[in-house]
Amino acid sequence: MPTVRLRDASEYPGPVQKLFEIAKAWFNYDFAAPPAMSRVMAWDPELGAFHGRAMKRAMGPGEWSRAEKEMVAAVVSGANACAY
Amino acid sequence: MDDDAFWYEAALLVGVTNALNVVADAPLETLEPARPDAAAQAVFAEILAFYDRAEVPVAFRRVAADPGYLADLWGATRRAFSDQRLTRRHKEALAFAVSVTTRSAFGTAFHLGEMRRLGVGERGVMEVLGVTQMFSSYTKIADTLQLEPDMDGIAAVDWSPAPGGATAPPPARAPEAP
Repeated sequence: MPTVRLRDASEYPGPVQKLFEIAKAWFNYDFAAPPAMSRVMAWDPELGAFHGRAMKRAMGPGEWSRAEKEMVAAVVSGANACAY
Repeated sequence: MDDDAFWYEAALLVGVTNALNVVADAPLETLEPARPDAAAQAVFAEILAFYDRAEVPVAFRRVAADPGYLADLWGATRRAFSDQRLTRRHKEALAFAVSVTTRSAFGTAFHLGEMRRLGVGERGVMEVLGVTQMFSSYTKIADTLQLEPDMDGIAAVDWSPAPGGATAPPPARAPEAP
């Protein structure tokens, strides 16, 4: 169980809602609610925006495809023993 | 990559990578036989050819006192890193990412070298490092807050059988209430 109360998307201010739309577009998936990680990163938009851009830059297609990079992300998450 | 075969292959690769790293990074120099026997030398020759290098990686030298074990370890390693559904080039990138994440000095240097040898450019290396770094951040944020998985529904279930096996029908859905 999370150690904090994850705020509902509606509890975030208007400008931050844009981050949720960006996340939805990134995953190309119509989430019933923004993923927990999106809501955490939106807590501090000044950090979240930079972090999100760095992530998108790293994950975007380049010498490796997005799919290949998603697998890199998965093995890193596994190596970190992260269930999320 | 919504076919489970990719993910089975990646998981097996991660396991073998970690197996090599734990031995290579441990202070086990004294286990390396000064004069490996003929059976070990034969395996060494295969390893040198596979990696196109002059020196056998330390992870294999340290288990060479038992040539039978060395041969099996090498067989698993060769299979794990060979082109199958995933390319050898991509597998080296995965092994590099895992090695950086687990702070393996051997694995990081070895798989970085292999990536470059197989044609990955500096941009490609930086891309893998960037993904590794970003997801080392996300995972720790998630763990600190003990977030529960909420994105696993994105992926479709692959109902194909195990290699060579028979297809199992998907579980029947419960009848909908009238």
